[in-house]
Amino acid sequence: MRAAIEAKRCGVDVAVVSKLHPTRSHSGAAEGGINAALGNATDDSPESHTFDTVKGSDYLGDQDAIEIMCHEAPGDIFELEQMGAIFSRAADGRLAQRPFGAAGAPRTVYSADITGHVLIHVLFEQLVKHEVTVYEEFYCTQLVVDDGRCAGVLAWDIVRGGVHAIEADHVILATGGVGRMYYGTTNAFACTGDGMSLAWRAGVPLKDMEFMQFHPTTLKSNGVLITEGCRGEGGYLRNKDGERFMARDAPNAMELASRDVVSRAEWKEIADGRGVDGCVLLDLTHLGAKKINTRLPGSRELALDYAGVDPIKEPIPVRPGAHYHMGGVDVDIWGESIIPGLWAAGEAACVSVHGANRLGGNSLMETITFGRRAGRAAGERVREEGDANARIEAGVVADEERRLSALLRSDGGERPGVLREELAKSMYDKAGVFRTEEVLQEAREKVHELRQRARRLHLQDHGTLFNSDLVQALELQAMLECADCLVTGALARQESRGAHSRLDFTERDDDRWMKHTLATYDDGEVRLDYKPVTVTRFEPVVRSY
Amino acid sequence: MSVPNAHFTTLQGAYDVDLMEVTLRIRRYAGDGSRAETQSYTVEVPTTATLLDALDAVQNTRDGTLAYRKSCRMAVCGSCGMRMDGGAVLACKTAMKPFVDAGHVVTVSPMGNLPVIKDLVVDMTPFWQKVHAVKPFLDSSDVDPPEREWRVTPKQAALISKESLCIMCGCCVSECNSMESDPDFLGPAALAKAYRFVGDVRDGDTRNRLKDLSGAHGIWDCTRCYFCNQRCPKGVDPRDAIAKLGAEAFREGLTRDEGAKHAKVFVSSTYRGGYLRETELVPKTIGPIGAITQIPFALQLARAGKVPNPLSPHKAKDNAEVKRLWKLLEAQTPTTRERAARGDGAGA
Repeated sequence: MRAAIEAKRCGVDVAVVSKLHPTRSHSGAAEGGINAALGNATDDSPESHTFDTVKGSDYLGDQDAIEIMCHEAPGDIFELEQMGAIFSRAADGRLAQRPFGAAGAPRTVYSADITGHVLIHVLFEQLVKHEVTVYEEFYCTQLVVDDGRCAGVLAWDIVRGGVHAIEADHVILATGGVGRMYYGTTNAFACTGDGMSLAWRAGVPLKDMEFMQFHPTTLKSNGVLITEGCRGEGGYLRNKDGERFMARDAPNAMELASRDVVSRAEWKEIADGRGVDGCVLLDLTHLGAKKINTRLPGSRELALDYAGVDPIKEPIPVRPGAHYHMGGVDVDIWGESIIPGLWAAGEAACVSVHGANRLGGNSLMETITFGRRAGRAAGERVREEGDANARIEAGVVADEERRLSALLRSDGGERPGVLREELAKSMYDKAGVFRTEEVLQEAREKVHELRQRARRLHLQDHGTLFNSDLVQALELQAMLECADCLVTGALARQESRGAHSRLDFTERDDDRWMKHTLATYDDGEVRLDYKPVTVTRFEPVVRSY
Repeated sequence: MSVPNAHFTTLQGAYDVDLMEVTLRIRRYAGDGSRAETQSYTVEVPTTATLLDALDAVQNTRDGTLAYRKSCRMAVCGSCGMRMDGGAVLACKTAMKPFVDAGHVVTVSPMGNLPVIKDLVVDMTPFWQKVHAVKPFLDSSDVDPPEREWRVTPKQAALISKESLCIMCGCCVSECNSMESDPDFLGPAALAKAYRFVGDVRDGDTRNRLKDLSGAHGIWDCTRCYFCNQRCPKGVDPRDAIAKLGAEAFREGLTRDEGAKHAKVFVSSTYRGGYLRETELVPKTIGPIGAITQIPFALQLARAGKVPNPLSPHKAKDNAEVKRLWKLLEAQTPTTRERAARGDGAGA
């Protein structure tokens, strides 16, 4: 939506195509906040934000991209505020800022613990204000590339059925992540890597796909995230003996160490038998009812609804869950891919700002700053170059109609939901927080087996009216492709860096592996290439908290 | 090669959960205009399962043709509004265990006041049209923007904190009594959204907004049944937002609408006599000429013994207490015009 608003401001014809109504997207679930060095709480600077992000990325983030985000972030925040975003305020009326993991200053702007919710609604308000056309509940099934450049998308009308050709000189993918390939995940059902898969099949490399961030505090029952703000406000993590185990792995930062560090510490506690029913305990009881009710009301509601626990009275059982995909469509600092006219922004993209590990509060910021930049760059390109006359041939549409109608009638015996669950368990067990060659190999074989079985799907719904079976089949295909890129990249990367933690290669190896992985479509298989990391000011040093 | 700590890779007990059996009765609409049919499904789900989890189990293991919307499963995206036992709920926020324990089989059906597309999926177009109709974006174009953020004190921000929680799920609209008789009524969701801007000290278009909202199908057409407050899964309390809009409209002197006049008579009449003088209500609401046209109806009511004697209206013996209450309320009403607000630092 941020990209669409900016492109519209350039005076060009813009439409948003989404499989959900725009306010239903998963950015709305972001709780804790959005990072910008405003200096409202204590002294802070974009340079300090840059350093924290580079260090947090375990030196895999491109430093030019990180500098751009950290320097442009304050302006973007003030713009969001003036659009009408309802942020929490300090007593003097300025924007309040709270401390977040691995940040040198309280830099996270927030709205209680519903920051993503207020942002997604303010962006939708601006979409209405700017009269941007929205095609809601359309699932993009194919990116059309004509003569080497982007020509638009083919989309299935989820509500009424039928394939539509949406011709466009420029397409910006802002389709989010792919957490649903994991059993334990904070992600919405909609996070199935659709945009990454579209780009991959069109020949664009996916970058650093092996880096999936596990959030340390998710509920066992359904993976729902309990915000890092809980620890930012002073919450403790304890094992079954009541011990604050973070003292072992991060004696200084404790619970506010970087997410990968906290997730590993938790995973070890549970694996070594010091957990409680497969979880550790997030203890907020010492914060008191007043603080919990004013600063963290959403977290209390989620704990009550989905864990049956009132955090005012008792600790919340939590465990790590797949949360944010650092990897994504390989794009430059304006969001453009190797195919002219094809762009990406947000979690679907990999610029790369987050490198091997993202800091809490940086994803909303990235999606806003780089969404705006992609919208601006694409809009200006149209203004400069005029109409590129994107055309989608009738034959292309007819082919897609045939493919989808065959899928609709398919009765091969494999149910999409069954394959999805097998994939999710395999990824959670074998490509999770800790990895070895042995388990990754098993994961890869499983993904390949599932990709074969997914050719023999059985759909029970053969109709065209709101056919969830069909959409789930398409989503499954996207997830399987992303999973293949993830495990293939993870198997190859023989080091531990950020969220990618190999028990058989426990050290970071800058000589061999300080480089981005590129996973490219090669006749249906994954081909790996690499490219260097951009370093501007910060040479890699050992990362500790 | 043996890898140290290889047992760290897989989280033991990750899938251990207690299970229960749940039965759902689902009203199914084919979407071709044929009558709905009720189908029952029994599925096994974790004891922590919500209604949405149960529907997923049905779709995954029993019947892939079942249609419903979902996404976040954490009560923030607003996709899964539907009716359970006749009242709107978010499926993802409704735990099934209490019903299983009570041996009660729930009936699931699509939301009300919106056209059904298929099964539990409704057409949200009319819902969004009404949201669009309240100019749902901040308008501060009357003043120059500040260099940084607008200054808004926590107290000012709190004026719209409840309305800011709205996820646009439609549960309030589903149960709205007024909308049932007047499909064009703006309804609780759009009006709560409207108050989100009227109550925002940064917005400079308050008077125009209130003028538009005071017209036909607007704030005065709410019947105050409070079903919206009762059914909202997020604590937005849309009826309270509508009441605040009414108060703001009064403050702006926008009292020409019959609904506003009606409310005014209530207040003035109780203030003077401690009781509502019902005979004043009609002429003062719709005017003397309109009132004459209502005489046949009044006579009908009188014959049925429903009209108090207009010549000796009820009067409380001592209505000093009423007056004291009235003044107290006046003093306590959160004046959005604490809003003078905008002057006190906004844009500094």
